Formats: sequence, C-alpha cells, structure tokens
Amino acid sequence: MAACRALVSRAVLPLHYHHVSRGVMLTHVREKKRWMKAYTFIMERKRKMEGPPPPKPRSQFPNFDYHAEVEAFSARLQESFSLDLLKTAFVSSCYLRSEEERRRALGLDSEMTALNLKDNGELSVYGQQFTKGFLGDWCRGSFHSLPEEGVAAVVGHLTGSEVMCHVARKLAVEELTMSAEFPVPDDTLQGTFFAVIGALEQSSGPVSAGLFIRDFLVTQLIGKDLFDMWRVVDPMGLLVKELTRKSLALPEPRLIRSAGASTVLPLYFVGLYSDRKLLAQGPGETVLAAEEEAARVALRKLYGFTEDRRPWDFTAHTGQLQKPSTQALASG
Amino acid sequence: MTARGTPSRFLQSVLHNGVGRYVCQLKRISLVFSKKGQGSLGVRDFIEEGVVDFAKNNPGTVIYISPQSCRIPKIVAEYLNGNVKEEMVTNKTSQQIAELITKMSDQSGLDIIRIRKPFHTDSPSIQGQWHPFTNRPPSIEPVGQQKK
Repeated sequence: MAACRALVSRAVLPLHYHHVSRGVMLTHVREKKRWMKAYTFIMERKRKMEGPPPPKPRSQFPNFDYHAEVEAFSARLQESFSLDLLKTAFVSSCYLRSEEERRRALGLDSEMTALNLKDNGELSVYGQQFTKGFLGDWCRGSFHSLPEEGVAAVVGHLTGSEVMCHVARKLAVEELTMSAEFPVPDDTLQGTFFAVIGALEQSSGPVSAGLFIRDFLVTQLIGKDLFDMWRVVDPMGLLVKELTRKSLALPEPRLIRSAGASTVLPLYFVGLYSDRKLLAQGPGETVLAAEEEAARVALRKLYGFTEDRRPWDFTAHTGQLQKPSTQALASG
Repeated sequence: MTARGTPSRFLQSVLHNGVGRYVCQLKRISLVFSKKGQGSLGVRDFIEEGVVDFAKNNPGTVIYISPQSCRIPKIVAEYLNGNVKEEMVTNKTSQQIAELITKMSDQSGLDIIRIRKPFHTDSPSIQGQWHPFTNRPPSIEPVGQQKK
C-alpha cells in the first residue's frame, strides 16, 4: 500500500486514481512491474480460450501498396497487362456487394459513395472460354489419338478448382483478389484467375495468353498419369472400341506369367495380344486386375501418354509463334 | 544431432518454375531501419545508392522503405509461396546489403534445410520397378495352375 501511495504521489495523479485503475496506467514509473505477471497470465489464458485470431489479408498489414503490387504482378510474369483490365480482373462480384452493403450500413448515401468499380464477371467468363478452348486444342495437338472424352477430362482437370487455385496461390493472385471473405474461397479464386487470363488475352493477344496458359497450367501435367485425371471404369471396353475403330484384331488376354499363386502376395502378368502381336502386358494381384491393368497400359500406348514419352518442349519463344496455332506450341 | 534427425526435403521448385518461364520468387521486400541509429548507417547508404538500381532491375519485386525508430535494422523478404524471411543488417555496409538483397531475390523462398540429394526425378527408373520377372525369358510351359 505504501508503495502504491508512493507511485501515485510520484506520478502526480489525482488522489482517487489508485481506486479506479491499478496496473497498466502506472507503467510510467520505474519500479518492478508487479502487475505484469498477472496481466500476462490473464492475456495468455484469454488467448488460449479464444484460440488463434482469424487470418487477416496481407493488404491490411503495413507495407502494402495496391497499385505497385499490381504493377509488380504484371512485370513478374513478364507480361504486358493493361493495368485497368488487370485491376478489374481482381474485383470479384461478392466484394462489390459486400462493400456496398457496408457503406449502406454506415449510413452513406449511394450517390455520394458510388463505387466506380466493375466486377470481373465478364472477364472471367471470357477467360474461361479462352482457356478451355486453348487447352482443348493443345491436347488434340499433342495427343492426336486421344478421344474427346479424354480431352475433356484433361481440360477439366487443368481448369478444375484444385489445380487453378494451387497455381493462383503460388502466383500471388490470392492477396490481390478483392473478395468479401478471407481466406478467399476456392471458386472466387478460380474465377479471378480465369479473369486474369481473360484480361491478358484482351490486352496482349491470344498468342501471349496461350503461352501464359502453357507455362503455368500445362506444366501442372508433368508427372501426371492419364487415368488419374480420366476415370475409366471399363478400360477393356474402351480398348475394344478403339481397336475396332482402327480395324485391328480384337485384343486377346493371355496369362503370361504368374508367381506365388497360393501365397498372400500372388502376382500375375496378363498380356494382350492382337493378331498374335503383344500389345501390352500388365501386372496385378488377381488375374482380372492384371487384365484391367494391361488394358490401361495398351490404352496409354495407343494415346501416346506413356510414362517414357518424350517430354514437352516449353522453350518455343514468342517470336517463333506468329499465329496462335496450338500445333506449333505442342511438341507432340 | 544426426543427419536423419534434422528436417530435410527433396530438391524442388515452386510451381515447376523455369520449365515454362522463370518467375522471380521474391515478391516484396521491406527495409526497416532507423533514421538516426548508428547500426542503420549501411541501410541508409544503400537506400541512397543502390535501391533504385535494384528496383529498376527487378520490376517484379515491390520495395518498401519504412523508417522507424528501431535499434536493429532488418530486411523482410516475402516470397511467392508465402514464406517470410527476416534478416538483421545491423552494422552492415551498403555493399554487403546489396549482396544480401541480390541473394534473397535469387532464392526460391523454400525452407533452407538439408536437401536429401542434389538431384531429383519424378520417375526414378526408366525401365520400371523391379519385379520377379524382370529380365527373365518368357516361359515355354503353360503358366498358372493347371487342371490335373
């Protein structure tokens, strides 16, 4: 108590002060801070009860200049975006809606505080169409014998929310996206990335937009298996269909090797013969599984999507690509 | 601690960087320094001499200069994959800071931990995984269980 009185008298505060507030306000005095332990303890317990704070977007932290960031985004990708289009591409419709509501809730009249922003709906649709068209052409150019369902599956995988969001997050699209919620939901992020591609196509033409898609989306195919992207339930039926279309003899499955049939780890190899020539062979734990695997191997060989295929050539420069022909981009 | 106990990763890059085109992974750099402090002398020199050249050469990196009253000047680098690295630059000269920033802009932002091998491939074997029949001539007898 004596110490407390001494504190008050030294800090030249009104006399009743120590009844009202003890602790934090008296930190100006050079003493042992005896209140500190209780204070940190309470704050610690509060933090423990409340859990970690919700994540905040990077734009709410210091050192974030939106215009400079957008310019750097364009320069980093070595593209010449028109900045107005690019800024429009980052504004999602949900952000516009929430921002207008927020202003209305604050009691501002709508004419004074009209948002001079356009949302990226049109750009997004445009970019989506362009991306799908380009990727479809690219697939048909690279894998000549891949049927339409396969092309659709590969394009669907690449333009799906998982791959698009992965790429967009690693290109810092997420922190530039203006969205109502944070963390940015996947569909908003995907739409924004489509809009960025659309903005690129409108500002510097289909050739560079095609190269952009090739460099950032097609590279995601590296190391991917065809049947991871394309669910084929009955590969044997598909193989039969393909062979009849090519007017080849139908595949004839033969058990060519087996080991450990009576153990817990049996192994069978089934070979598929067409007109006495070995099409493919595949292993499996049962004869049926081996047959299915062999059919998949045969299909991969037919479509040119084997693991040991020649890697795609990503080195073609912009100068060599005069027309937006995807045949030139594809190396087969 | 033995090598197995330390954290490690494989050799990798962010988003297959460099397969299509090279993207500089350093997206943002902030120079935090004091206007008066002795330890920030080198940073102030660097801001006068080198920072504009660096910004011109690296248009993909946003540079923020934030003078604060701080004893320890530091450089905060943010990478495209979300990693943030802080480097203390107390008493460093302008030359040393320029080298440090160049090093930071060359890095990928992945954790600097032990890399298991200096090479990596997605398909470790060209001829495929070994199985009991690798390099065996095909059998002449009938295969599998036979009816007696």
